[in-house]
Amino acid sequence: MPTNLSSRWWLDILIPIASIVGLLLVWWLVVVAFHIPSFVLPTPMATFQAIGSDWATIAQGILVTSQSFVLGFVIGSALGFLLAIVMSQSELLYRFLYPVLIITQAIPVVAIGAALVIWLGFGLAPKLFIVGLIVFFPVLVNVLDGLHSVDRDSINLARAMGASRWKIFTLVRLPATFTPLFSALKMSATFSVTGAVLAESTASTTGGLGVYLAIQQSRFNTAGVFAAIVVLASIGLITFLLITSWEIAATPWRRTSVVPRRRRFGKTLAAAASGTGEQASVEAVHSLSRP
Amino acid sequence: MTTTTASPVKIELRDIVQRFDANLALDNTSLTINEGEFVSVVGPSGCGKSTLFNILSGILTPTEGHAFIDGQDITGQPGHVGYMLQKDLLLPWKSALENITLGKALHGRVSTQDRQDAADMARRYGLGDFLNHFPHAMSGGMRQRVALMRTLSFARDVMLLDEPFGALDSQTRLEMQEWLLQVWQETGSTILFVTHDVEEAIFLSDRVVVMSPRPGRIQEIINVDIERPRRIRDLTDPRFMAYKARALELIYGNAKAGA
Repeated sequence: MPTNLSSRWWLDILIPIASIVGLLLVWWLVVVAFHIPSFVLPTPMATFQAIGSDWATIAQGILVTSQSFVLGFVIGSALGFLLAIVMSQSELLYRFLYPVLIITQAIPVVAIGAALVIWLGFGLAPKLFIVGLIVFFPVLVNVLDGLHSVDRDSINLARAMGASRWKIFTLVRLPATFTPLFSALKMSATFSVTGAVLAESTASTTGGLGVYLAIQQSRFNTAGVFAAIVVLASIGLITFLLITSWEIAATPWRRTSVVPRRRRFGKTLAAAASGTGEQASVEAVHSLSRP
Repeated sequence: MTTTTASPVKIELRDIVQRFDANLALDNTSLTINEGEFVSVVGPSGCGKSTLFNILSGILTPTEGHAFIDGQDITGQPGHVGYMLQKDLLLPWKSALENITLGKALHGRVSTQDRQDAADMARRYGLGDFLNHFPHAMSGGMRQRVALMRTLSFARDVMLLDEPFGALDSQTRLEMQEWLLQVWQETGSTILFVTHDVEEAIFLSDRVVVMSPRPGRIQEIINVDIERPRRIRDLTDPRFMAYKARALELIYGNAKAGA
């Protein structure tokens, strides 16, 4: 139904935009109402002007920071995912590795930054390591949870059907990790931007946003600092949005009643499927339960 | 023990003993079920119903004894029977149709023909409009229908059903029982049905196996001599009442004596 579709669209797009606009508005009002001097807190307008006037440097910074952020994020989450799968295969390995992993999380990233520079130099490597370390652990823990959440009886059922270990893994256990995996990715998306900035402040010589931030800070250029903050927040936000879109596409069963078009069977369902799934299914239940 | 039908033996359990550590879960149990027969197992918890079930499905190898299907020793071998539990165990990320064809998917690829067959069956048994729905969009009764069709699609020969309707409300339950009898009559499957509901067992079955606990063993087998197709009114038939009285006496009379 068009009315339902548009109301959905309204909720998904317009409300979040309104909330961001609202945040900027509050920011602006606070500055104006309390007569806050611009070297303490610049207005949103002044901040955007600072971004515009220094765009060439900032754009370069975005490229440099995004490179370490994206690469570190992908490598860290991939390793976390793979290790979770390996650990789920063996109780012994799980017990053995878990304390080590918790120790890696207990070490403050700032503290190992210096050591990493000594070991890995000033290049990309220490930055990837720090960003990767931040995303690695939530992914590992959540994917392990997902793998363990599968009902023992579901696995027994698949076994009773004579399925191989591999088939049980790919069809029954693996899809159960998707939802917790995406939770971890969304959580760490914003936090790993922080990691990238932190890594740059200890281990960078090239002009990333972390370096830009440090320079503006040393010059007491508050508008410049806020320019960097806004850009960094935007990177986090965009990453979050990208992961959310991927999640919606990868886990359709969490949002809709009917499988995506390419997985549908036959034509009879077309009518029911094009409407809102909820409504269609409720009606169908009623018509079927009364023979 | 023998029924009036002259069908060949489909399932045989021979001298099964199951120990879990020092605990004797099932003591020297033998049972034969003929082809196309509908047999229920009733008894209080701890009587070894589910152990019996796991042994037949091949996911548990008994301490002693053997299980046969069509005369072939299948002890400890999964993949010969279809089974279904009270929990529907539908995969939430698969549609009704994809859940029905799970057995095929677990053994390789699902062909267009498999999907067509599953869809035909689903339509015949009242699931037509739900083929492409995810399980969360279906009612409890619908989900159990899908679970049974998954079982049928995997192995319609022999089906083990462990309290499949236990979680449903009584009205849906009765509907599902009649529906199951319809499916059974059309497919000619051999069904072993585990339940703790005596009425359900008598209503559905040719024979009701009453088990007793600690150690689990077969206490008595009741032949249900009520003509088919069974109807709701059979639930108040004097013969039905007599069977029910006998079964309850075996289960609860025994529990009292043990207490």
